[in-house]
Amino acid sequence: MEAATATTRGDRSVLERSPLARLPDRALRWGLTLLAGATLALIAYFIIRLYIEAKPAFDKFGVFGFTFDNNWDVSKGIFGAWPLVVGTLITSALALVIGVPVAVATAIYIVELCPRKLRQPLSMMVELLAAVPSVVYGLWAVFVVIPKLLPAEKWFADTFSFIPWIGGGTVAGPNYFIGGLVLAIMILPIVSAISREVVATVPVEQKEAALALGATRWEMIRMAVLPYSRAGITGASMLGLGRAIGETIAVTLVIGNAPQIGNHLFAQGYTLAAVIANEFGEAASNHLHRAALIAAGLVLFVLTLVVNGLARAFVIRAERKQGTRIAPEGAGA
Amino acid sequence: MRKLLALVAFGVLALGVAACGSSDNDNGGGGSSSASVPDKGGSLNGAGATFPQPVYDEWSARFKDNTGTTVNYQGIGSGGGVAQFTAGTVAFGASDSAMTDDEVKAASKKGDPVHVPSVLGAVTVSYNVDEVDKGLKLDGPTVADIFLGKVKKWNDPGIAKQNSGAKLPDTDISVCHRSDESGTTKLFTTFLADYSTAWKNGPGVDKTVKWPTGTGAKGNDGVAACVKQNKGSVGYVEQAFALQNNFKTADVKNEAGNYIAPSLDSTSAAGVGLKIPTDLRFSAINAPGDKAYPIASATFLLVYKDMCKAGQEPAQAQRVKNWLSYALGAGQKVAPELQYAPLPDSLHTRALAEVKGLTCNGKALK
Amino acid sequence: MTTLQAVSPRRRRTDRIARGLLLAGTIVALVPLVLVLYYLVKKGIGAWGIDFFTTDPSGRFFGDPGGIKSAIVGTVLIVALATAIAVPAGIGVALYLVEYGKKSTFANVVRYFVDVLTGVPSIVFGLFIYIVLVLGNVGGNFAGWKGSVALALLMLPVVTRASEVVLQLVPDSLREAALALGAPRWRVVARVVLPSALPGLVTGSLLAVARAAGETAPLLFTAFAVKATTLDLGTQMNSLPIQIFNDVRQAQDRLVERAWGAALTLVVMILLLTLIARLFQRRSRLT
Repeated sequence: MEAATATTRGDRSVLERSPLARLPDRALRWGLTLLAGATLALIAYFIIRLYIEAKPAFDKFGVFGFTFDNNWDVSKGIFGAWPLVVGTLITSALALVIGVPVAVATAIYIVELCPRKLRQPLSMMVELLAAVPSVVYGLWAVFVVIPKLLPAEKWFADTFSFIPWIGGGTVAGPNYFIGGLVLAIMILPIVSAISREVVATVPVEQKEAALALGATRWEMIRMAVLPYSRAGITGASMLGLGRAIGETIAVTLVIGNAPQIGNHLFAQGYTLAAVIANEFGEAASNHLHRAALIAAGLVLFVLTLVVNGLARAFVIRAERKQGTRIAPEGAGA
Repeated sequence: MRKLLALVAFGVLALGVAACGSSDNDNGGGGSSSASVPDKGGSLNGAGATFPQPVYDEWSARFKDNTGTTVNYQGIGSGGGVAQFTAGTVAFGASDSAMTDDEVKAASKKGDPVHVPSVLGAVTVSYNVDEVDKGLKLDGPTVADIFLGKVKKWNDPGIAKQNSGAKLPDTDISVCHRSDESGTTKLFTTFLADYSTAWKNGPGVDKTVKWPTGTGAKGNDGVAACVKQNKGSVGYVEQAFALQNNFKTADVKNEAGNYIAPSLDSTSAAGVGLKIPTDLRFSAINAPGDKAYPIASATFLLVYKDMCKAGQEPAQAQRVKNWLSYALGAGQKVAPELQYAPLPDSLHTRALAEVKGLTCNGKALK
Repeated sequence: MTTLQAVSPRRRRTDRIARGLLLAGTIVALVPLVLVLYYLVKKGIGAWGIDFFTTDPSGRFFGDPGGIKSAIVGTVLIVALATAIAVPAGIGVALYLVEYGKKSTFANVVRYFVDVLTGVPSIVFGLFIYIVLVLGNVGGNFAGWKGSVALALLMLPVVTRASEVVLQLVPDSLREAALALGAPRWRVVARVVLPSALPGLVTGSLLAVARAAGETAPLLFTAFAVKATTLDLGTQMNSLPIQIFNDVRQAQDRLVERAWGAALTLVVMILLLTLIARLFQRRSRLT
């Protein structure tokens, strides 16, 4: 048998295909490469175009001036986005403070403590939180959460008014706290899902070793699970933070839309995303206003970029430590 | 099981698609019409103030019955209305406050903007306080102080002084104001600036100002929602919105020194005896007259004098003229049903003249 | 042999308290879900009716407010177009990354930027499309298809990421076996890789569709909102999220009720899509 060296016309082996037959392969490869390249080009164009449109605002106020000046005054044409940035940071920080402990507790409970049969249903229920659209959360928050929590908020502000930033002002319906609370609910699914994956990949030997040494369940979690999961959970929290920073619709319905830095927990505020949603309509023919809104979008974009980049770094570090890939399912990005 | 679910899913989608008829926008051949109106059918896009939106929406419905033309009006605020009008993305704009000189200059790239007053409306000071009845007496300086955040409680001495005998609760005042560019805001702040130097030098008079306190909401409807949902709140909304939601409204002190409640009569009274310039850009805030409500004014429809030159199709321009003729004609009788006052005679005549003068590429419209 | 040290009562107490707290945390996480669904049904079902689904919002200040027909139709059309754009593109990019891009720097760059895209707030997508297509006056002003493009941008990274995961799970041995039998590359992809991955791909795509159906921000300044039902994607279109967003900010009770009814409709649609997606996932031989 001379299989490997049999040749046909043109010194081509019989196993090789003719150039014509290779065409579909080539087409597929180049087609897909082009598609990938086009996606890249689109993203690059996206960033560049945003910057170009935002430039008039940066030219007028300077990049630092725009971001850090505490004066968003549309009527006078002064656009300093600091109150918006602060509002974004406050609500997102509140979301983390409220949401992360609950999400991590849920993750640990589902993986370590709950009866096996409940694992799937419980995980699914937490994931269902992600299926509720932002505008529906806003609707629910406005008509159910705000009225029901107002007395409690008032009581809290009165009782703890000696703590700076807690008391000290009129408790309005829409405010920073409600914004943070709604965001916390919205980031629960993603922080919990990734934390669950992280906690589930802790090596069994570590856990069994702790238990063998006589640790209680909780002690095992504290000694074996949590230290291992730290990086991954941090990454999960930062992904949640990234989501919270960019959330628009639910926040704009409950934040009060006041372009100042509120001076207490229950004051009204504003966020970068909310200001874009509220003011774009009037900016159609006012070039500076429009540039300012797009600049706000750019600041928002950069913020989420940085946060998500950090998150990714943490998650990759956790993956490397455990030698596994932590891939959340397609939804809830 | 899976197939059943797939069927259910398709059923839901099919319901949505099957339940719809063909598109509602067909040109020509409008509905039954007794009026011999040229260029029936079709649709018009307009955008702007939420102040007159109730009456414009009602007019649209009846105008469609008469001529078959659908008017799509978006309430995005006077600022948005002026912006879209200037950008040429709508057939007509709407604004409660007349365009400023700068705005006129920006719009004049496309042509001469024409202000057509449509109705008079009143900006009420509405509040949601259980213990207080309707008709709380407030004067200009007090209202300004409330919105400045200086008056923080409902039983403030400044309020109590004007309302002896009323039991005012020790509740915090929450302010509701606009977050978007609003002609209603401009009217309201004009009133405030007339009575409070602190307001004039502070937030000032404009379609959007830096509010010292309070929650921002979009549109008159948004402020109405804010007042409705928050106990102890106060906000400024057009009369129709206050009536729709059974708000308690304040009796505001006018220039003549009387406390006037917002009503159809007091709104009409504000339109009497005003000095109106030739281009009809006027404001009726703080109108003289014993019975005039001090925060009332006209609201304007904005069109270009030569609509075709500004970019409209001739048939479209004709439809806009039909709409304006309706507004100044049968529409004036519909307005009082929603508590908007029709234009006083002198103003009405001048408005009609403006509409008559609209052209298409130099030629008069029918 | 010494006995193992017994667990002290203090430690046992700490253990019990900690476990109680963890359980409490889990319950707290589920409370909002229960409350949202409860209120959705309680307040929304009252709005449901034949008229609700078959009439358009009337826009009348007094009188009959109308239903949400145009919103449902608009959402179906806009999301359908977005899906038609994003799913093939997303699967295509994922295919590229898996089949041809395991080691190339170019592929890593693409992968990185697609990851970046997942973190972009949805309103920035809307803003981008507003600048490029609406203000740039590409084919008119506001239009339904522009909303679809904004949604497609949002769906693309989600579909790509999910598809990449699924495609990677197709065992290389399958590919190699096909190649060894003499099948050309494109045949391997079309007849071996894609069919094995199909359920997973469908899951990922359906989840992306469910996500896009609920998005409001990208539609705010692209599709805008009109009251009448229209099938023309080249004009302004209504959509469920926008309709809800507008009605939430109204004071009138009947409009708020319509918002609840529309919200219930939207959530039902999304839950159905999610359910179907999960069922496909269960069917997948890979995950």
